[in-house]
Amino acid sequence: MIKFENVVKQYQDNKALDGVNLQVHHGEFISLVGLSGAGKTTLFKLIIGEEQIDGGKILIDDIDISQVRKSDLPYLRRKIGIVFQDMKLLPRRTAFENVAFAMEVCGHNADKIQSEVPKILELVGLLHKRDSFPEEMSGGEKQRVAIARALSHRPVLLLADEPTGNLDEVNAAEVLDLLLKINQLGTTVILATHASDLVNKINKRVVTIEDGKITLQQEKGRYKL
Amino acid sequence: MMDSISFLRVIKIGFVNFWRNFWLSAAATIVMTVTLVIFSSLFTVFILTNYSIHTIQNTVDISVYFKIGLADDQITKIKDDIAHDPRIKEIDYVSAEQAFDNFKAAHQNDPLITESLNELTQNPLPATLHIKTYNLSDYPGVAQNLESDQYKSFIDKVNFEDNRVVIERLNTILKFVVTFGLALVAIFALIAILVIYNTITLTIYNRKEEVEIMRLVGATNWYIRGPFLMESLLYSIFSTIITAALFVPVYYKVLPKVVAYINPQLNIYSNSLFHFGYLVLILFVLALLLSVISSMLAIRKYLKT
Repeated sequence: MIKFENVVKQYQDNKALDGVNLQVHHGEFISLVGLSGAGKTTLFKLIIGEEQIDGGKILIDDIDISQVRKSDLPYLRRKIGIVFQDMKLLPRRTAFENVAFAMEVCGHNADKIQSEVPKILELVGLLHKRDSFPEEMSGGEKQRVAIARALSHRPVLLLADEPTGNLDEVNAAEVLDLLLKINQLGTTVILATHASDLVNKINKRVVTIEDGKITLQQEKGRYKL
Repeated sequence: MMDSISFLRVIKIGFVNFWRNFWLSAAATIVMTVTLVIFSSLFTVFILTNYSIHTIQNTVDISVYFKIGLADDQITKIKDDIAHDPRIKEIDYVSAEQAFDNFKAAHQNDPLITESLNELTQNPLPATLHIKTYNLSDYPGVAQNLESDQYKSFIDKVNFEDNRVVIERLNTILKFVVTFGLALVAIFALIAILVIYNTITLTIYNRKEEVEIMRLVGATNWYIRGPFLMESLLYSIFSTIITAALFVPVYYKVLPKVVAYINPQLNIYSNSLFHFGYLVLILFVLALLLSVISSMLAIRKYLKT
């Protein structure tokens, strides 16, 4: 599904990614582990086309994304959901509106939004919070709203960048369970994290990245640095 | 391209942005309005002055009165001779008979004059030439030439009403008004661009989070930029409407009176109506240009995609 071939990304004189080779298959759940600054976020930014690569190739379903025209990038992004540590929810909008916002932006009509958003909120277990504002929700709930928003286009790939970084253990576990559930429903998930206890619990493929290089790949791995 | 749902949403967000920063929007609209008002005043003064000049210019000509009894072929010869002068635009020849007939026709209701005319055995009126030149400044030269010895024996009198001074003064005023006015318009246009630029920048800043999320969830560039363009479009629409409203009384009440004073014979109403339509159109185009330039500058700088 995604193939990184010798990918290099350079910020001034700092090599963020240095010859990364990685292959992600449909339906996989990958934990991408490494210290902050190791290159995890850069990897995600390259996948959604927010940054350009300086060397190598990234193929998504055999499409070379450096060949994708700028004006077509939005359509690529609609195939990929992304969530962040800081959630990036709109504070003045309810859970429902935050998810609806993503659908509005992509040109879905009001009827479709009205029927789809509750389904997605139910999937993440937050239908009862549909009219709550972000400040009225716990960290875990907020992150689940962010995941719901990322799922609103029915993406084939979900990128989660430190989604549990700001959460306590209980909330983190909730979010992780949700990601696993989404993966079971068929969406490929890449989880970037440095929370070793979470990774150890997942028991799926682990990719370790250090100083812009992949140093370890384990099929059913544990967090190791 | 954008579908109709997205298009409507862009327009809606544009309106929402406008109202959310009401005072900023008002400031941008006012500065733009001031620019347009100055421009409209200039436009109006320009039209009026131009119109006056044109009217006066049309009244200027040189009348050449031939000596009475001069043969037609001689007159034609002189006329053709004069016509070689490249400065001359047109020569209108009125023969002695024609002048007589015109005079008779003009006074046909006055029995006393008609009777007196019938008493005459000889036509007392001279043949005349009415000469117009291309340039105002050529009148004295042409007149002088006609007074030269060459024609002295045929021509009784060369009459030339010198409105040149008035016209030249008007021309000077017009030049000054246009130069000064254009400079003023340019200055205010620049201020308007800066104010709109700042307003749009602030709106972008206020909606930074939203814009970021929009990009991440796959909004197209136009969907992101559209509302900001729409917002600046609203400034131009509102300022055009305000300026047009301010100038309605000028064009429908004041101008007809002024123009009637300058030249009572013209149908002023239809004329100003025509000018007013033009003015509104030009205003809108100008406003649109200013807002598009400034908002595109802000968008390009702060909405890198």
